[in-house]
Amino acid sequence: MDLLTIIINGLSIGGIYAMIALGYTMVYGIAKMLNFAHGDIIMVGAYTVVLLFTTSPTVGIISALVLCVLVGIIVEKAAYRPLRGASPLAVLITAIGVSKLLQSAAQIFIGSEPKGLTLNLGEIRLGSLHISVLTLLTILISVAVMAGLTLFVKYTKMGRAMVAVSEDRGAAQLMGINVNSVITVTFIIGSALAALAGVFLLFKSQSVDSTFGAMPGIKAFAAAVIGGIGSIPGAMVGGVVLGFIEAIFAATPLRDYVDAIEFAILIIVLLVKPTGILGKKRREKV
Amino acid sequence: MNKKEKFFSVMKKVGTGAQKFSKNYLNYTVILAVMLVFTIFALATPMKDSTALLFQKITVAVILAVSLNFVVGFLGELSLGHAGFMAVGAFLGGKLSTILVNALGANSTNIFILILSLVLGAVCAAVCGVVVGFAALRLRGDYLAIVTLAFGEIVRVVFINSSYDNAINKINATKLPEFIKNFFAKILELLDFGGALGLQSPSFPKKKMYILVIIGFLLILFTLFVIQNILKSKTGRAITAIRDNEIAAKAMGIDVTKHKLMVFVISAAFAGMAGVLFSYANKPVSASSFGYNYSIEILIMVVLGGMGSINGSIISASLITILNEFLSKKLTGDNAIYKDLFYAVILILVIIYNNAPALKNLREKLNLKNLVGKLFNKIFKRKPNPSSVASDAARWDVVPTKIEMNEVLSTDVVIDYTGENSADIDERGGSDNGKEN
Amino acid sequence: MKLKRVFAIVMTIVLCFGMVAVLASCGNNEVNYAENNTKIKVGVSGPLTGGAAMYGIAVKNSAQLAIDEINAKGGVNGVMLELVAADDKHDATLVSTTYTTLYEGGCQLFLGTVTTKPGIQFKDYATEDGIFYLTPSASGDDIPYADGGFQMCFTDSNQGTASAKLFNENYAGKKIGIFYKADDDYSVGIKNNFVKNLDASFGKIEEASFTGDTSLFDSQISMLKDCDVIFMPIYYTPASQFMKQGANIVKADAVYFGCDGFDGIDAVDGFAIDTIPQEVSYLSHFDSTATEGPAADYIKAYKEAYPNEPLNQFGAAAYDCVYAMVAALEKSGEEITATMSAQDMSEILLAQFKGGFVFNGVTGKCEGENKSTITWNADGTVDKEAVKYVVKEAGANG
Repeated sequence: MDLLTIIINGLSIGGIYAMIALGYTMVYGIAKMLNFAHGDIIMVGAYTVVLLFTTSPTVGIISALVLCVLVGIIVEKAAYRPLRGASPLAVLITAIGVSKLLQSAAQIFIGSEPKGLTLNLGEIRLGSLHISVLTLLTILISVAVMAGLTLFVKYTKMGRAMVAVSEDRGAAQLMGINVNSVITVTFIIGSALAALAGVFLLFKSQSVDSTFGAMPGIKAFAAAVIGGIGSIPGAMVGGVVLGFIEAIFAATPLRDYVDAIEFAILIIVLLVKPTGILGKKRREKV
Repeated sequence: MNKKEKFFSVMKKVGTGAQKFSKNYLNYTVILAVMLVFTIFALATPMKDSTALLFQKITVAVILAVSLNFVVGFLGELSLGHAGFMAVGAFLGGKLSTILVNALGANSTNIFILILSLVLGAVCAAVCGVVVGFAALRLRGDYLAIVTLAFGEIVRVVFINSSYDNAINKINATKLPEFIKNFFAKILELLDFGGALGLQSPSFPKKKMYILVIIGFLLILFTLFVIQNILKSKTGRAITAIRDNEIAAKAMGIDVTKHKLMVFVISAAFAGMAGVLFSYANKPVSASSFGYNYSIEILIMVVLGGMGSINGSIISASLITILNEFLSKKLTGDNAIYKDLFYAVILILVIIYNNAPALKNLREKLNLKNLVGKLFNKIFKRKPNPSSVASDAARWDVVPTKIEMNEVLSTDVVIDYTGENSADIDERGGSDNGKEN
Repeated sequence: MKLKRVFAIVMTIVLCFGMVAVLASCGNNEVNYAENNTKIKVGVSGPLTGGAAMYGIAVKNSAQLAIDEINAKGGVNGVMLELVAADDKHDATLVSTTYTTLYEGGCQLFLGTVTTKPGIQFKDYATEDGIFYLTPSASGDDIPYADGGFQMCFTDSNQGTASAKLFNENYAGKKIGIFYKADDDYSVGIKNNFVKNLDASFGKIEEASFTGDTSLFDSQISMLKDCDVIFMPIYYTPASQFMKQGANIVKADAVYFGCDGFDGIDAVDGFAIDTIPQEVSYLSHFDSTATEGPAADYIKAYKEAYPNEPLNQFGAAAYDCVYAMVAALEKSGEEITATMSAQDMSEILLAQFKGGFVFNGVTGKCEGENKSTITWNADGTVDKEAVKYVVKEAGANG
């Protein structure tokens, strides 16, 4: 494989990871919890699109967004909010439970057989080079989402409130910020991003089953950590880095170990520079 | 002293004796008794193969749950890679037993080889425990959980690709000199764990499975002996102190490094032993059995049994294994998924009930101990004795068994763990969306 | 604290009693578990839930179909049959449950397991108990063995060899690519034998692989895009994903060539096979799209009985397995009763299958209205003719 192909493949896979990682990093940065169910919200979105695709793709995408946001709100209110203030361990285990719950619910309602669709958006040819329209769209939308989120966080009242909550929840509350509603909004944004990622991941893989989002979810978390968790551009960078790793190793004899290599890189990053590529140092408060 | 008083004093002595016994030896006694009953039935009446196989699964599950509880319940760190440690034990122990059985022409039920495999499996898993333990020194909470998850996945991927045929093809395709290729071929033969299909290590025939069950029971006793004695000692109190407040523990002069590493190593070693037991009961030992889902299954046992309760882990591991066996026969077709749904819901509810700050009053109200105590007082018309004041002071003979929320002290002290180069990070990760700190 | 302990003691006492109750119900090893049977029980362990469920369900339904047909004709010398299916979720660790459920439940005829990994554990147990099994679809090289393990499908290595032979004859001089699943024993087994038996004249073979649930195949498609023939020893879901994602990138006149895992690819949910320009073919022992001959009769009967359930070669093989075992029992001339022990029944079957038993079934190559001829080698492997099926000619129609 030539270098250009590797770059395009890396961007194509990395764009998807980046999109998932953006949602992860939002929720993690502000709600301070590792939302294991994020990958499964992606699965919910993808299923919605698949089931409604023959009716109308647009309706499918819109209902995916709505349904994912609803699921996100319900999960946040029912499972995570009661545990606000409890130990992080408890929250983490609950998130795992929610993830399993969504997976088994999907199997019960839709069945374990994968559902699929056929979609061909065509491609752009530049000489010997082929770039699929989907890849371009994925990257463009990831960048747009990244820019939009950065602006939102910097310049809107709600965005500033989110930063405040992420910095110091108690102080934010004292300043009159409704922490609960800020976190709900975070989950709404996170779930909408998950739905969007689900749509693109589905259009790419063209098939979905109940564990559809689990592995991409974990890998996207790895991407978010590598880029610097809590940092919006970091999620983008981490996703693309992970995409490149996959594309590069796919052509070598080590290709079957690529998952292990990615996780090893994650561990090394965590041990050597836990703040990731773009994260900032923070001091530990006692 | 009148008769009545004498009677009460004797009863009190018996009571404290029973209490002391139950505190220190109850679970040993019960497990020993179960083991004896099992052995008698296995030898006296030929039991159904399914019974022995079920007990075999229970012994493995109990060892796994107790050892995971040591990390999750007592050290307070979430490990999502427990199945990874088990896989290391299962594959390396299984490989050793394969080599030895072939080399010595021994029977697959040779106890000596089994013990050697158990030792090797435990040691190898413990080495992995050191690696993950080092990560635990620098990371906490969610980050550490992710590292353990990543570790489990790495182990799975490595073993699933560990096929001789595959690797030798790849090496032969390279342009290395012949002698290096031969050298690699020799190494690869040793590292062949059967790849995707799995390792076909020696295993006990069904009719002899009861021997493995008895060994499993003995290993449970050994696990309990080691872990409970540690918990009762000064070390155990240090471990729970680290769980409740690491910084305070450090301030008290507790060597956090040593204790954290120790917990991870011991827990991993027992998981490795469970893995060797697994390899002796299953054929093939397939890496896909040890995925993330299996780690979660063990975690469910620990959570439902109560984090920080050894006896709880034993009971819940046994009951969940039996329930799984029962349900996998009863629920067929698509209904089988209801089991997963059920566990997921129970997991969420138990965690919320036990941890939600808002439910604190309800928890105290519905506490079994208080309820029974009230009932007891009502029946015997006992009135609280105003002269005896319940002591709130720490009781050193009791290991705290509940995870409390980290008490946050509001002093702004900068802690530097490992010198200048360490990245100081909030335990749950820094987050700053483009804002200066 | 005290009351907690009391509670613990009570709990353990309850547990002890429970254990004694469980142990007391234990039976005797030497008993004939089938002594209370009123029908001959046919046992099969397969994935009825989870990712591989479509294979297990097809096997279960087809075996049931065959049993219903046999019972309608009067059973085996007047004795009726009954199917017992246990769910192993394609997980070897669950075989301890499924096997004992079947064996201790009184099953006498065994279809083994549907997939290979659990099949190895099943073989271990069956060997110990002296049980004969004829598996429809566990194709691993370790599954068949001379003293009781027979297969209705081809072993993985035979499939690899047969495919390589077909490539040597038909695709000489073309550029060959392989796309396989590295963590699947079925895929790796076929691929290794395929590579071993391929002519050296093909030159360098492009190999691309994937693991786990990966569904993004950009890199693999780039590696294989210049190949003329792409060999895919994988199941149809990932294959269909590869084809969809690579529709415009892989050469339009390329051939996707699969093994029996491809059977049913044209029926994958959401896969409009006509929209891809490449040819799709596979080598298999059964054609689930057949419109005439014995295969079509089976398909018609299956679709009538189970209109909404998966249909594939796994099921056809199970249908043949039941008929083959019944035919062998009838041919033996021994007296067959419903209460015979599994061991006695196994002995009769083994003698037949090792003694040059010939069976005419719906899998293998059927000429017109005639059923195929199937024989077994002494080592338990099957001997029948594989056929190349073209699912879709080259050129996009959609």
